[in-house]
Amino acid sequence: MKLSLKPQETFRDDYTFSNSDEAILRFPFPFPEDSYMYSVNMEPHVRGGASPVYNAMFDIDEHYVGDMADRAITLDQDPLRCQVLPHMETAEWDTLELLMENLANDYPEHFSLTKNDDEWHWINRPLDIDQKFTFGREETLPFGPFEYITRQVQGDFSLQDQRDNNLYMDGGMVTSQADWSLNFDVGMSFHEWHGPVPLAHESGVFDRALQYLLRMQCGKPVRRLNWTMTANPRLDTSPENYPLWGPEKAAITPENVGHRMCLRVELQTLYRLPRSNAILFSIRGYLIRLEELAKVKKWAVRMHRVIRDLHPRIAEYKGLPRYRQYVVDYFAPHDDGRVLNAGIGPEQDGI
Amino acid sequence: MSKNRPVYEPFALEPSGRAHLVVTSLDAPPEGIEDSFDNIEVWTVKHNGPGVPVLAAGGVRPFRSTTELLAQLGHRLGRETAGLRFYAIGSEAFIWDAYNIGIVAGLHPSEISLHRAGPLVRRVYCSHCRTMIEGVPVNIVSCPSCEAALFVRDHFSRRLAAFMGVKVDAEVPGEIPAAEVFTS
Repeated sequence: MKLSLKPQETFRDDYTFSNSDEAILRFPFPFPEDSYMYSVNMEPHVRGGASPVYNAMFDIDEHYVGDMADRAITLDQDPLRCQVLPHMETAEWDTLELLMENLANDYPEHFSLTKNDDEWHWINRPLDIDQKFTFGREETLPFGPFEYITRQVQGDFSLQDQRDNNLYMDGGMVTSQADWSLNFDVGMSFHEWHGPVPLAHESGVFDRALQYLLRMQCGKPVRRLNWTMTANPRLDTSPENYPLWGPEKAAITPENVGHRMCLRVELQTLYRLPRSNAILFSIRGYLIRLEELAKVKKWAVRMHRVIRDLHPRIAEYKGLPRYRQYVVDYFAPHDDGRVLNAGIGPEQDGI
Repeated sequence: MSKNRPVYEPFALEPSGRAHLVVTSLDAPPEGIEDSFDNIEVWTVKHNGPGVPVLAAGGVRPFRSTTELLAQLGHRLGRETAGLRFYAIGSEAFIWDAYNIGIVAGLHPSEISLHRAGPLVRRVYCSHCRTMIEGVPVNIVSCPSCEAALFVRDHFSRRLAAFMGVKVDAEVPGEIPAAEVFTS
Protein backbone atom coordinates (compact mmCIF):
# COMPACT_ATOMS: atom_id res chain seq x y z
CA MET A 1 0.00 0.00 0.00
CA LYS A 2 1.50 3.34 -1.04
CA LEU A 3 1.79 5.67 1.91
CA SER A 4 3.80 8.85 2.32
CA LEU A 5 4.36 10.07 5.84
CA LYS A 6 4.52 13.68 6.93
CA PRO A 7 7.45 14.85 8.96
CA GLN A 8 6.63 15.52 12.58
CA GLU A 9 3.53 17.61 13.29
CA THR A 10 2.09 18.56 16.68
CA PHE A 11 -1.16 17.72 18.45
CA ARG A 12 -0.72 20.20 21.32
CA ASP A 13 0.62 23.71 21.96
CA ASP A 14 1.05 25.15 18.42
CA TYR A 15 -1.11 22.44 16.75
CA THR A 16 0.66 22.20 13.39
CA PHE A 17 -1.53 19.19 12.47
CA SER A 18 -3.34 19.43 9.14
CA ASN A 19 -4.75 17.02 6.57
CA SER A 20 -3.51 16.84 3.00
CA ASP A 21 -6.15 16.72 0.24
CA GLU A 22 -5.57 12.97 0.01
CA ALA A 23 -6.09 12.60 3.76
CA ILE A 24 -9.33 14.60 3.57
CA LEU A 25 -10.74 12.39 0.83
CA ARG A 26 -9.91 9.19 2.75
CA PHE A 27 -11.37 10.49 6.02
CA PRO A 28 -13.83 7.98 7.54
CA PHE A 29 -16.89 10.22 7.65
CA PRO A 30 -19.18 8.53 10.19
CA PHE A 31 -22.69 9.51 9.03
CA PRO A 32 -24.28 7.35 6.32
CA GLU A 33 -27.61 9.16 6.84
CA ASP A 34 -28.81 12.67 7.68
CA SER A 35 -29.51 11.80 11.33
CA TYR A 36 -27.63 9.97 14.09
CA MET A 37 -28.65 7.64 16.93
CA TYR A 38 -26.76 4.94 18.84
CA SER A 39 -26.95 1.46 17.36
CA VAL A 40 -24.99 -1.79 17.29
CA ASN A 41 -23.55 -0.81 13.92
CA MET A 42 -20.91 -3.52 13.70
CA GLU A 43 -19.77 -5.23 10.52
CA PRO A 44 -16.97 -7.68 9.65
CA HIS A 45 -13.57 -5.98 9.52
CA VAL A 46 -12.38 -7.20 6.15
CA ARG A 47 -9.97 -5.28 3.95
CA GLY A 48 -11.85 -2.93 1.63
CA GLY A 49 -15.30 -1.42 1.98
CA ALA A 50 -16.95 1.95 2.28
CA SER A 51 -13.81 3.84 3.35
CA PRO A 52 -10.14 3.61 2.31
CA VAL A 53 -9.18 3.40 6.00
CA TYR A 54 -10.56 -0.15 5.83
CA ASN A 55 -7.92 -1.20 3.30
CA ALA A 56 -5.44 -2.32 5.97
CA MET A 57 -6.06 -4.43 9.08
CA PHE A 58 -4.53 -1.57 11.13
CA ASP A 59 -4.60 1.72 9.26
CA ILE A 60 -1.43 3.82 9.24
CA ASP A 61 -1.70 7.29 7.71
CA GLU A 62 0.35 10.40 6.96
CA HIS A 63 0.20 11.55 10.61
CA TYR A 64 2.00 8.46 11.95
CA VAL A 65 5.28 10.03 13.11
CA GLY A 66 3.73 12.98 14.95
CA ASP A 67 1.02 10.77 16.39
CA MET A 68 3.56 8.40 17.97
CA ALA A 69 5.67 11.30 19.25
CA ASP A 70 2.59 12.73 20.98
CA ARG A 71 1.91 9.35 22.63
CA ALA A 72 5.48 9.27 23.92
CA ILE A 73 5.04 12.74 25.48
CA THR A 74 1.81 11.70 27.20
CA LEU A 75 3.37 8.48 28.54
CA ASP A 76 6.38 10.39 29.78
CA GLN A 77 4.08 12.64 31.81
CA ASP A 78 1.76 9.84 32.98
CA PRO A 79 3.02 6.24 32.62
CA LEU A 80 -0.31 4.92 33.97
CA ARG A 81 -1.92 5.66 30.60
CA CYS A 82 -0.62 2.18 29.78
CA GLN A 83 -1.61 -0.53 32.25
CA VAL A 84 -2.02 -4.28 31.88
CA LEU A 85 -3.10 -6.52 34.75
CA PRO A 86 -0.67 -9.38 35.46
CA HIS A 87 -2.95 -12.21 34.25
CA MET A 88 -3.00 -10.69 30.73
CA GLU A 89 0.57 -11.51 29.78
CA THR A 90 -0.44 -14.00 27.09
CA ALA A 91 -2.79 -11.41 25.59
CA GLU A 92 0.13 -8.97 25.48
CA TRP A 93 2.13 -11.30 23.24
CA ASP A 94 -0.97 -12.05 21.16
CA THR A 95 -1.30 -8.31 20.55
CA LEU A 96 2.32 -7.87 19.61
CA GLU A 97 2.12 -10.70 17.09
CA LEU A 98 -1.15 -9.50 15.54
CA LEU A 99 0.10 -5.94 15.11
CA MET A 100 3.57 -6.78 13.83
CA GLU A 101 2.33 -9.35 11.32
CA ASN A 102 -0.36 -7.09 9.90
CA LEU A 103 1.81 -3.97 9.71
CA ALA A 104 4.56 -5.91 7.92
CA ASN A 105 1.98 -7.41 5.58
CA ASP A 106 0.08 -4.18 4.78
CA TYR A 107 3.05 -1.77 4.69
CA PRO A 108 6.16 -3.73 3.67
CA GLU A 109 8.06 -0.59 2.69
CA HIS A 110 7.79 0.72 6.26
CA PHE A 111 7.73 -2.37 8.52
CA SER A 112 9.25 -5.81 8.39
CA LEU A 113 9.08 -8.88 10.60
CA THR A 114 11.37 -11.90 10.32
CA LYS A 115 10.81 -14.99 12.47
CA ASN A 116 13.22 -17.80 13.20
CA ASP A 117 11.29 -19.93 15.69
CA ASP A 118 11.02 -17.65 18.73
CA GLU A 119 13.83 -15.35 17.60
CA TRP A 120 12.08 -12.40 15.96
CA HIS A 121 13.47 -9.39 14.14
CA TRP A 122 11.27 -6.28 13.87
CA ILE A 123 12.10 -3.25 11.77
CA ASN A 124 10.07 -0.03 11.93
CA ARG A 125 11.66 2.34 9.43
CA PRO A 126 9.59 5.52 10.06
CA LEU A 127 10.52 5.44 13.76
CA ASP A 128 14.03 4.14 13.09
CA ILE A 129 13.59 1.01 15.21
CA ASP A 130 15.51 -2.22 14.62
CA GLN A 131 14.74 -4.76 17.36
CA LYS A 132 15.76 -8.39 17.75
CA PHE A 133 13.96 -10.20 20.57
CA THR A 134 12.72 -13.56 21.76
CA PHE A 135 8.96 -14.07 21.49
CA GLY A 136 7.55 -14.84 24.94
CA ARG A 137 10.54 -13.39 26.80
CA GLU A 138 9.62 -9.94 28.12
CA GLU A 139 13.17 -9.17 29.26
CA THR A 140 14.32 -9.08 25.61
CA LEU A 141 12.21 -5.95 24.90
CA PRO A 142 12.64 -2.42 26.29
CA PHE A 143 8.97 -2.36 27.47
CA GLY A 144 6.34 -4.99 28.16
CA PRO A 145 5.21 -6.51 24.83
CA PHE A 146 1.86 -4.68 24.80
CA GLU A 147 3.37 -1.29 25.59
CA TYR A 148 6.28 -1.93 23.21
CA ILE A 149 4.10 -2.47 20.15
CA THR A 150 1.30 -0.02 20.97
CA ARG A 151 3.89 2.76 21.21
CA GLN A 152 4.33 2.10 17.48
CA VAL A 153 0.74 1.82 16.24
CA GLN A 154 -1.73 4.69 15.89
CA GLY A 155 -4.90 4.57 17.98
CA ASP A 156 -5.70 3.60 21.55
CA PHE A 157 -5.98 -0.04 22.55
CA SER A 158 -7.68 -1.94 25.31
CA LEU A 159 -7.49 -5.60 26.28
CA GLN A 160 -10.64 -7.43 27.37
CA ASP A 161 -10.47 -10.64 29.36
CA GLN A 162 -13.46 -12.94 28.86
CA ARG A 163 -14.80 -14.74 31.95
CA ASP A 164 -18.11 -15.27 33.78
CA ASN A 165 -19.96 -14.57 30.51
CA ASN A 166 -18.66 -10.99 30.53
CA LEU A 167 -15.76 -8.88 29.30
CA TYR A 168 -13.38 -7.12 31.69
CA MET A 169 -11.12 -4.29 30.62
CA ASP A 170 -7.92 -5.65 32.10
CA GLY A 171 -5.41 -3.59 30.18
CA GLY A 172 -4.93 -0.73 27.78
CA MET A 173 -2.84 1.93 26.07
CA VAL A 174 -4.95 5.07 26.20
CA THR A 175 -3.38 8.41 25.26
CA SER A 176 -5.88 9.86 22.77
CA GLN A 177 -9.22 9.18 24.41
CA ALA A 178 -12.53 11.00 24.21
CA ASP A 179 -12.71 11.88 27.91
CA TRP A 180 -12.45 8.48 29.60
CA SER A 181 -9.84 7.24 32.01
CA LEU A 182 -8.07 3.88 31.82
CA ASN A 183 -6.79 4.34 35.36
CA PHE A 184 -10.38 4.63 36.59
CA ASP A 185 -11.91 2.01 34.31
CA VAL A 186 -9.26 -0.73 34.44
CA GLY A 187 -10.75 -3.99 35.71
CA MET A 188 -14.36 -2.96 34.96
CA SER A 189 -16.97 -5.19 33.33
CA PHE A 190 -18.56 -4.24 30.00
CA HIS A 191 -21.62 -2.49 31.45
CA GLU A 192 -19.57 -0.78 34.15
CA TRP A 193 -17.19 0.96 31.79
CA HIS A 194 -20.06 2.03 29.53
CA GLY A 195 -22.01 3.33 32.54
CA PRO A 196 -21.89 7.04 31.70
CA VAL A 197 -23.22 6.65 28.14
CA PRO A 198 -26.83 7.96 27.98
CA LEU A 199 -29.81 6.33 26.23
CA ALA A 200 -27.99 3.25 24.99
CA HIS A 201 -28.44 1.25 28.22
CA GLU A 202 -32.20 1.69 28.20
CA SER A 203 -32.51 0.60 24.59
CA GLY A 204 -30.53 -2.59 25.24
CA VAL A 205 -27.68 -1.65 22.90
CA PHE A 206 -25.02 -2.75 25.39
CA ASP A 207 -26.73 -6.05 26.21
CA ARG A 208 -26.83 -6.92 22.52
CA ALA A 209 -23.30 -5.69 21.85
CA LEU A 210 -21.91 -7.78 24.72
CA GLN A 211 -23.65 -10.94 23.51
CA TYR A 212 -22.26 -10.32 20.03
CA LEU A 213 -18.71 -9.80 21.30
CA LEU A 214 -18.70 -12.83 23.59
CA ARG A 215 -19.24 -14.99 20.50
CA MET A 216 -16.52 -13.33 18.42
CA GLN A 217 -14.19 -15.78 16.72
CA CYS A 218 -10.48 -15.67 16.08
CA GLY A 219 -9.66 -14.45 12.57
CA LYS A 220 -13.03 -12.72 12.18
CA PRO A 221 -12.53 -9.17 13.46
CA VAL A 222 -15.38 -6.64 13.45
CA ARG A 223 -15.57 -2.86 13.21
CA ARG A 224 -17.75 0.17 13.74
CA LEU A 225 -17.36 3.95 13.60
CA ASN A 226 -17.95 6.30 16.51
CA TRP A 227 -17.45 10.05 16.70
CA THR A 228 -17.24 13.16 18.82
CA MET A 229 -15.89 16.69 18.38
CA THR A 230 -12.68 18.15 19.77
CA ALA A 231 -11.53 21.75 20.07
CA ASN A 232 -8.16 21.85 18.28
CA PRO A 233 -6.54 18.69 16.91
CA ARG A 234 -5.62 17.43 20.39
CA LEU A 235 -5.11 13.73 20.95
CA ASP A 236 -4.90 13.84 24.75
CA THR A 237 -8.47 14.79 25.66
CA SER A 238 -8.31 12.78 28.88
CA PRO A 239 -10.27 13.50 32.06
CA GLU A 240 -6.89 13.76 33.81
CA ASN A 241 -5.92 16.75 31.67
CA TYR A 242 -9.38 18.31 31.25
CA PRO A 243 -8.13 21.42 33.13
CA LEU A 244 -5.70 21.86 30.20
CA TRP A 245 -8.03 21.30 27.25
CA GLY A 246 -11.30 22.55 28.78
CA PRO A 247 -10.37 26.24 28.27
CA GLU A 248 -9.69 25.51 24.58
CA LYS A 249 -13.32 24.45 24.18
CA ALA A 250 -14.50 27.68 25.76
CA ALA A 251 -12.29 29.67 23.36
CA ILE A 252 -14.27 28.48 20.32
CA THR A 253 -16.08 31.38 18.60
CA PRO A 254 -18.14 31.66 15.42
CA GLU A 255 -15.04 33.18 13.80
CA ASN A 256 -12.56 30.40 14.67
CA VAL A 257 -14.87 27.37 14.73
CA GLY A 258 -14.00 26.31 11.17
CA HIS A 259 -10.27 26.27 11.81
CA ARG A 260 -10.07 25.06 15.40
CA MET A 261 -13.00 22.69 15.80
CA CYS A 262 -12.39 19.14 14.67
CA LEU A 263 -14.64 16.20 13.97
CA ARG A 264 -13.04 13.25 15.74
CA VAL A 265 -13.94 9.84 14.34
CA GLU A 266 -13.00 6.54 15.91
CA LEU A 267 -12.59 3.46 13.77
CA GLN A 268 -13.21 0.84 16.42
CA THR A 269 -12.06 -2.66 15.56
CA LEU A 270 -12.18 -5.80 17.70
CA TYR A 271 -10.05 -8.92 17.39
CA ARG A 272 -10.30 -12.24 19.22
CA LEU A 273 -6.77 -13.21 20.24
CA PRO A 274 -5.61 -16.78 19.59
CA ARG A 275 -3.75 -17.93 22.74
CA SER A 276 -5.41 -15.89 25.49
CA ASN A 277 -8.98 -15.84 24.11
CA ALA A 278 -8.96 -12.16 25.10
CA ILE A 279 -10.34 -9.43 22.82
CA LEU A 280 -8.15 -6.61 21.55
CA PHE A 281 -10.07 -3.38 21.02
CA SER A 282 -8.47 -0.79 18.77
CA ILE A 283 -9.84 2.75 18.92
CA ARG A 284 -8.19 4.44 15.95
CA GLY A 285 -8.90 8.16 15.99
CA TYR A 286 -9.02 10.48 12.98
CA LEU A 287 -9.15 14.26 13.25
CA ILE A 288 -10.34 16.70 10.62
CA ARG A 289 -10.78 20.45 10.98
CA LEU A 290 -14.26 21.62 10.00
CA GLU A 291 -12.74 23.85 7.29
CA GLU A 292 -11.12 20.72 5.82
CA LEU A 293 -14.36 18.75 6.07
CA ALA A 294 -16.22 21.56 4.30
CA LYS A 295 -14.14 20.91 1.18
CA VAL A 296 -16.29 17.83 0.58
CA LYS A 297 -19.77 19.01 -0.41
CA LYS A 298 -21.72 15.93 0.64
CA TRP A 299 -20.12 15.85 4.07
CA ALA A 300 -20.67 19.57 4.70
CA VAL A 301 -24.38 19.28 3.90
CA ARG A 302 -24.78 16.18 6.01
CA MET A 303 -22.84 17.60 8.98
CA HIS A 304 -25.28 20.51 9.05
CA ARG A 305 -28.27 18.19 9.30
CA VAL A 306 -26.81 15.71 11.77
CA ILE A 307 -25.52 18.26 14.26
CA ARG A 308 -28.64 20.42 13.97
CA ASP A 309 -30.97 17.47 14.72
CA LEU A 310 -28.84 15.63 17.29
CA HIS A 311 -30.61 14.31 20.41
CA PRO A 312 -29.85 16.78 23.25
CA ARG A 313 -28.61 14.07 25.63
CA ILE A 314 -26.16 12.74 23.07
CA ALA A 315 -24.97 16.28 22.40
CA GLU A 316 -24.47 16.77 26.12
CA TYR A 317 -22.59 13.49 26.59
CA LYS A 318 -20.27 14.36 23.74
CA GLY A 319 -19.62 17.79 25.25
CA LEU A 320 -21.13 19.71 22.32
CA PRO A 321 -23.64 22.19 23.77
CA ARG A 322 -21.16 25.05 24.26
CA TYR A 323 -20.38 25.32 20.54
CA ARG A 324 -23.05 23.23 18.83
CA GLN A 325 -24.84 26.25 17.37
CA TYR A 326 -21.57 27.61 15.94
CA VAL A 327 -21.04 24.31 14.13
CA VAL A 328 -24.60 24.33 12.76
CA ASP A 329 -24.22 27.94 11.61
CA TYR A 330 -20.84 27.15 10.04
CA PHE A 331 -22.29 24.43 7.83
CA ALA A 332 -25.73 25.98 7.19
CA PRO A 333 -24.63 27.97 4.12
CA HIS A 334 -23.42 24.72 2.53
CA ASP A 335 -26.82 23.04 2.87
CA ASP A 336 -28.84 23.86 -0.25
CA GLY A 337 -31.54 21.32 0.62
CA ARG A 338 -30.31 18.75 -1.84
CA VAL A 339 -31.14 15.07 -1.33
CA LEU A 340 -28.01 13.12 -0.33
CA ASN A 341 -27.22 9.54 -1.19
CA ALA A 342 -26.95 7.12 1.72
CA GLY A 343 -23.38 6.08 2.59
CA ILE A 344 -20.23 7.69 3.88
CA GLY A 345 -18.13 8.13 0.73
CA PRO A 346 -17.17 11.67 -0.38
CA GLU A 347 -18.59 11.21 -3.90
CA GLN A 348 -15.94 13.49 -5.38
CA ASP A 349 -12.49 12.69 -6.76
CA GLY A 350 -10.58 15.81 -5.82
CA ILE A 351 -10.66 18.84 -3.56
CA MET B 1 -30.09 5.75 37.16
CA SER B 2 -27.42 4.36 34.89
CA LYS B 3 -27.13 0.60 34.67
CA ASN B 4 -23.51 0.42 35.76
CA ARG B 5 -24.54 1.11 39.35
CA PRO B 6 -24.78 -1.92 41.61
CA VAL B 7 -28.24 -2.87 42.86
CA TYR B 8 -28.51 -3.93 46.52
CA GLU B 9 -31.03 -6.35 47.98
CA PRO B 10 -32.47 -5.79 51.46
CA PHE B 11 -30.36 -7.36 54.22
CA ALA B 12 -31.21 -10.98 55.05
CA LEU B 13 -29.10 -13.79 56.50
CA GLU B 14 -28.57 -16.76 54.20
CA PRO B 15 -29.71 -19.86 56.16
CA SER B 16 -27.47 -22.23 54.18
CA GLY B 17 -24.35 -20.69 55.72
CA ARG B 18 -22.26 -22.74 58.17
CA ALA B 19 -21.14 -19.51 59.83
CA HIS B 20 -21.87 -15.81 59.33
CA LEU B 21 -19.67 -12.75 59.56
CA VAL B 22 -21.49 -9.41 59.40
CA VAL B 23 -19.40 -6.23 59.18
CA THR B 24 -20.95 -2.77 59.26
CA SER B 25 -19.65 0.79 59.13
CA LEU B 26 -22.55 1.76 61.43
CA ASP B 27 -22.39 1.68 65.23
CA ALA B 28 -24.95 -1.11 65.50
CA PRO B 29 -25.99 -4.07 63.36
CA PRO B 30 -29.57 -4.59 62.17
CA GLU B 31 -31.66 -5.18 65.27
CA GLY B 32 -31.77 -8.70 66.68
CA ILE B 33 -29.41 -10.41 64.26
CA GLU B 34 -26.99 -11.52 67.03
CA ASP B 35 -29.71 -13.84 68.27
CA SER B 36 -30.88 -15.18 64.91
CA PHE B 37 -28.21 -17.87 64.48
CA ASP B 38 -25.74 -19.56 66.83
CA ASN B 39 -22.68 -19.09 64.68
CA ILE B 40 -22.83 -15.41 63.90
CA GLU B 41 -20.17 -12.80 64.44
CA VAL B 42 -20.83 -9.08 64.08
CA TRP B 43 -18.25 -6.29 63.60
CA THR B 44 -19.32 -2.68 64.13
CA VAL B 45 -17.71 0.76 64.32
CA LYS B 46 -18.03 2.55 67.65
CA HIS B 47 -15.70 4.18 70.17
CA ASN B 48 -16.01 5.11 73.81
CA GLY B 49 -14.44 8.57 73.99
CA PRO B 50 -11.45 9.75 71.93
CA GLY B 51 -9.40 6.72 70.90
CA VAL B 52 -10.99 4.50 73.54
CA PRO B 53 -12.31 1.15 72.33
CA VAL B 54 -15.62 -0.40 73.29
CA LEU B 55 -15.15 -3.93 74.57
CA ALA B 56 -16.57 -6.81 72.59
CA ALA B 57 -19.68 -8.37 74.10
CA GLY B 58 -22.10 -11.11 73.06
CA GLY B 59 -20.66 -11.80 69.62
CA VAL B 60 -20.47 -8.12 68.69
CA ARG B 61 -16.99 -6.70 68.22
CA PRO B 62 -16.72 -2.90 67.88
CA PHE B 63 -13.81 -1.20 66.08
CA ARG B 64 -12.83 2.43 66.51
CA SER B 65 -12.99 3.19 62.79
CA THR B 66 -13.85 1.55 59.49
CA THR B 67 -10.12 1.73 58.74
CA GLU B 68 -9.31 -0.40 61.79
CA LEU B 69 -12.10 -2.83 60.94
CA LEU B 70 -11.00 -3.25 57.31
CA ALA B 71 -7.34 -3.57 58.34
CA GLN B 72 -8.21 -6.69 60.35
CA LEU B 73 -10.71 -8.14 57.92
CA GLY B 74 -8.26 -9.75 55.51
CA HIS B 75 -6.55 -11.59 58.35
CA ARG B 76 -9.89 -12.78 59.75
CA LEU B 77 -11.20 -14.01 56.37
CA GLY B 78 -7.89 -15.65 55.53
CA ARG B 79 -8.45 -18.12 58.39
CA GLU B 80 -11.89 -19.18 57.09
CA THR B 81 -12.83 -22.36 55.30
CA ALA B 82 -15.76 -22.99 52.98
CA GLY B 83 -19.27 -22.36 54.23
CA LEU B 84 -18.83 -18.85 55.62
CA ARG B 85 -21.36 -16.25 54.50
CA PHE B 86 -19.96 -12.74 54.56
CA TYR B 87 -22.16 -9.62 54.77
CA ALA B 88 -21.16 -5.96 54.59
CA ILE B 89 -23.58 -3.21 55.57
CA GLY B 90 -22.93 0.51 55.33
CA SER B 91 -21.76 3.20 52.93
CA GLU B 92 -21.12 2.20 49.32
CA ALA B 93 -17.38 2.85 49.74
CA PHE B 94 -17.20 0.67 52.86
CA ILE B 95 -19.11 -2.29 51.47
CA TRP B 96 -17.03 -2.42 48.29
CA ASP B 97 -13.81 -2.11 50.25
CA ALA B 98 -15.03 -5.07 52.30
CA TYR B 99 -16.00 -6.95 49.11
CA ASN B 100 -12.56 -6.43 47.57
CA ILE B 101 -10.85 -7.66 50.75
CA GLY B 102 -13.13 -10.70 50.70
CA ILE B 103 -12.23 -11.56 47.10
CA VAL B 104 -8.51 -11.23 47.82
CA ALA B 105 -9.00 -13.53 50.82
CA GLY B 106 -10.44 -16.17 48.48
CA LEU B 107 -14.21 -15.81 48.95
CA HIS B 108 -16.43 -16.41 45.93
CA PRO B 109 -18.72 -13.51 44.95
CA SER B 110 -21.74 -15.72 45.73
CA GLU B 111 -20.57 -15.97 49.38
CA ILE B 112 -20.66 -12.19 49.82
CA SER B 113 -23.70 -9.97 50.12
CA LEU B 114 -23.63 -6.21 50.23
CA HIS B 115 -26.24 -3.85 51.66
CA ARG B 116 -26.10 -0.11 51.58
CA ALA B 117 -27.18 1.67 54.77
CA GLY B 118 -26.65 4.97 56.53
CA PRO B 119 -26.32 8.40 54.92
CA LEU B 120 -26.20 8.62 51.09
CA VAL B 121 -22.57 9.65 50.78
CA ARG B 122 -20.00 8.79 48.14
CA ARG B 123 -16.25 8.37 47.97
CA VAL B 124 -14.99 10.52 45.11
CA TYR B 125 -11.80 9.97 43.11
CA CYS B 126 -10.17 13.14 41.84
CA SER B 127 -9.29 12.38 38.20
CA HIS B 128 -6.62 15.06 38.21
CA CYS B 129 -4.50 14.40 41.30
CA ARG B 130 -5.93 10.95 42.28
CA THR B 131 -6.88 11.91 45.79
CA MET B 132 -9.79 9.99 47.37
CA ILE B 133 -12.38 12.20 49.09
CA GLU B 134 -14.53 10.41 51.65
CA GLY B 135 -18.14 10.94 52.71
CA VAL B 136 -19.28 13.32 49.97
CA PRO B 137 -23.06 14.07 50.21
CA VAL B 138 -23.45 16.33 47.11
CA ASN B 139 -22.48 16.15 43.45
CA ILE B 140 -19.91 18.96 43.50
CA VAL B 141 -16.99 18.81 45.91
CA SER B 142 -13.68 20.60 46.23
CA CYS B 143 -10.58 18.41 46.10
CA PRO B 144 -8.62 18.99 49.31
CA SER B 145 -5.32 18.30 47.51
CA CYS B 146 -5.34 20.00 44.08
CA GLU B 147 -8.26 22.35 44.91
CA ALA B 148 -10.25 21.57 41.77
CA ALA B 149 -14.02 21.83 42.18
CA LEU B 150 -15.12 18.38 41.04
CA PHE B 151 -18.37 17.28 39.45
CA VAL B 152 -19.18 13.74 40.59
CA ARG B 153 -20.04 11.69 37.51
CA ASP B 154 -22.52 8.84 37.87
CA HIS B 155 -19.68 6.43 37.13
CA PHE B 156 -18.69 4.00 39.88
CA SER B 157 -15.58 1.83 40.15
CA ARG B 158 -15.99 -1.27 42.31
CA ARG B 159 -12.22 -1.69 42.37
CA LEU B 160 -11.69 1.78 43.84
CA ALA B 161 -15.09 1.78 45.59
CA ALA B 162 -15.33 5.35 44.33
CA PHE B 163 -17.13 7.64 41.93
CA MET B 164 -15.30 9.64 39.31
CA GLY B 165 -14.76 13.35 39.99
CA VAL B 166 -13.82 15.72 37.16
CA LYS B 167 -13.20 19.47 37.34
CA VAL B 168 -16.59 21.12 36.91
CA ASP B 169 -15.37 24.52 35.72
CA ALA B 170 -12.47 23.36 33.52
CA GLU B 171 -13.89 25.22 30.50
CA VAL B 172 -14.73 28.52 32.19
CA PRO B 173 -13.09 28.85 35.64
CA GLY B 174 -15.62 29.91 38.25
CA GLU B 175 -18.63 28.66 36.27
CA ILE B 176 -19.85 26.29 38.99
CA PRO B 177 -23.51 25.22 39.17
CA ALA B 178 -25.31 24.71 42.49
CA ALA B 179 -24.54 21.37 44.13
CA GLU B 180 -27.29 18.77 44.37
CA VAL B 181 -27.72 16.28 47.21
CA PHE B 182 -27.40 12.62 46.14
CA THR B 183 -30.67 10.74 45.96
CA SER B 184 -29.16 7.37 45.09
